[in-house]
Amino acid sequence: MFDRDRDRDRSRDRDRDRDRDRDREPDRDATDRVHTLGARDKKKPFSFFRAGRGEASAANKPILVFEGVYKYFKRDQPTLRDIDLEIERGEFVFVTGPSGAGKSTLLKLVYRAETVDEGRILFCGRDISRLTATSIPFLRRNLGVVFQDFKVVPHWTVFENVAVPLEIMKMPARLVRSRVGEVLERVGLSGRGDERTATLSGGEQQRVSVARAIVGEPALVLADEPTGNLDPQLAVDILTLFEEIHQAGTTVVFATHDRSLLETRPHRLLIIDDSRIIEARSGLTQWAEEQSGISALPARGAA
Amino acid sequence: MDFTTAIKRAARSAREEARLYLVAISSLAVAFLCLGAALITIANLSAIAERWGQSVRLSIYLTDGADAADVTQMRALLDALPEVTSTQLVSSADARQQFLDGNEVGHDLAALPAEVFPSSVEVTLSPAAAENPAIISQIAERVARLRGVEQVETYRTWMDRLRMLVAGGRFGAGVLALLVGVCVLAIVGNTIRLSIANRKTEIEVLKLCGATDSFVRRPFLVEGAAQGLVGAAFAVSLLLALFLFASGEIAPAFAAFTGVRPVFLTVPMMALVVVGAVVVGSAGSALALRRYLAER
Ligand SMILES: Nc1ncnc2c1ncn2[C@@H]1O[C@H](COP(=O)(O)OP(=O)(O)O)[C@@H](O)[C@H]1O
Ligand SMILES: [Mg+2]
Repeated sequence: MFDRDRDRDRSRDRDRDRDRDRDREPDRDATDRVHTLGARDKKKPFSFFRAGRGEASAANKPILVFEGVYKYFKRDQPTLRDIDLEIERGEFVFVTGPSGAGKSTLLKLVYRAETVDEGRILFCGRDISRLTATSIPFLRRNLGVVFQDFKVVPHWTVFENVAVPLEIMKMPARLVRSRVGEVLERVGLSGRGDERTATLSGGEQQRVSVARAIVGEPALVLADEPTGNLDPQLAVDILTLFEEIHQAGTTVVFATHDRSLLETRPHRLLIIDDSRIIEARSGLTQWAEEQSGISALPARGAA
Repeated sequence: MDFTTAIKRAARSAREEARLYLVAISSLAVAFLCLGAALITIANLSAIAERWGQSVRLSIYLTDGADAADVTQMRALLDALPEVTSTQLVSSADARQQFLDGNEVGHDLAALPAEVFPSSVEVTLSPAAAENPAIISQIAERVARLRGVEQVETYRTWMDRLRMLVAGGRFGAGVLALLVGVCVLAIVGNTIRLSIANRKTEIEVLKLCGATDSFVRRPFLVEGAAQGLVGAAFAVSLLLALFLFASGEIAPAFAAFTGVRPVFLTVPMMALVVVGAVVVGSAGSALALRRYLAER
């Protein structure tokens, strides 16, 4: 077991190494530009996303990188400890671990509902771990997030719920209508835009929330136990829906503690165990060994 | 541009929270009715004060059976003064008639004999003299020493009292306006706070989808402003309707007593009340939101 101070020292060392590495990198200013993000993005809400996709160098980079990330809720006991992680463009990644392991926290660090205490997180090559409060909305416009409790506004129509991200981005009403129509079709709710969302079943409400997450065509979709409130068959349906979204080119990070989902699908698997990330590329077998006390796999990229 | 989105969102929320908003607007209307009524009272008092201030007069009450020669001499003396515009002799009979004309009195009073009403010389002073109370008192003192003069009424004390009443009224209205402002802040603030509580999910969804704080805030500001606007506009309209209805009934009596027709709030004053309501309404909303958004 590491105590917090030793962990901090280690991470400081790594910071120095990284700084040296960065000095050698030709496009170092790409990360430094992040500091002016808020001001720039006021004029061009999409620049975050466009830069991430448009630049040849950024396109080859992983879409999401964690570098020595620590998150503390209690002073001497990190919830996330020294997380090093790379997620490539177009990947489908499961994040799992028992309840309270830190799955939600990991995702919250990405959509900036929580802030890292140490280390940094790169999204499309940009450091998002220390964005100013005014820049956070522009980060979120490039992410889609789906939750266990749907987070749809029950008294709004399906259309109104799905259209929210587009209205925020000031898209013209006609375009909003056609885009929402398309995305409702993708999630299997075509023609149901005028229904009050509260009258839909749980599975359908979750589809509304998925539609809202992808309507802005984000590069990355985060799902935090999206099947947690659904019965098993509906859970598989929603997982399949995310896989379809993934097939269409979107990167998906899918957090769940539902073993039955993990077992049936071959996707890359990250396990949060004792506040560290364990890679279990070949599915559940290694996690099972891990659980039964066989030596821990080293976290990828850790020293 | 962005504003239309905010107004659309605000309109949708107003429909959803119709009952809450109706209660808020009624409370606001009551507050503005009080303020409006106070302002109308002040406006009329000021009008009266101004009217009376302009026509300064002296009433010189004569002793019973005053010598006509003394009176004529006194009038000649007064007419010669530059401050005096005109003089007029009002006999006891004239005074009685004026009293009976000005009041719808019953049989008992109509039976009063003319002797009850003293005869007087009514002196109208020039507007220049009205500016200078010292000269008026000087004239009054000199006249009071003349033979056949019972008493000189300068109306100074009346004017002073009225002016004090107007000044006090203005101060009171200022305090009332302040109180109403605080009321509006509280009413709108509480309504918006309730509305925020009912719309927690909505706000959370907006923020997760990348809405800026100002995007979240704007519809609430519109709602606060609209509540103030509707409350104040309703109160002012109601007062105007009442005024138009009532002034037909009471205007002649009012005019007979005060010398002026009843007045309503001026257009700039009405605009000030309504604009103030809009500003304070959105401020109340902003205050309620600042606390909420700061917590996220
Ligand atoms: N805002 C918070 N304040 C304090 N502790 C928190 C907070 N959020 C999460 N935690 C703690 O962090 C740990 C991980 O929580 P979470 O990420 O929600 O786990 P999971 O999603 O894997 O079930 C838990 O022990 C939880 O109590
Ligand atoms: Mg969780």
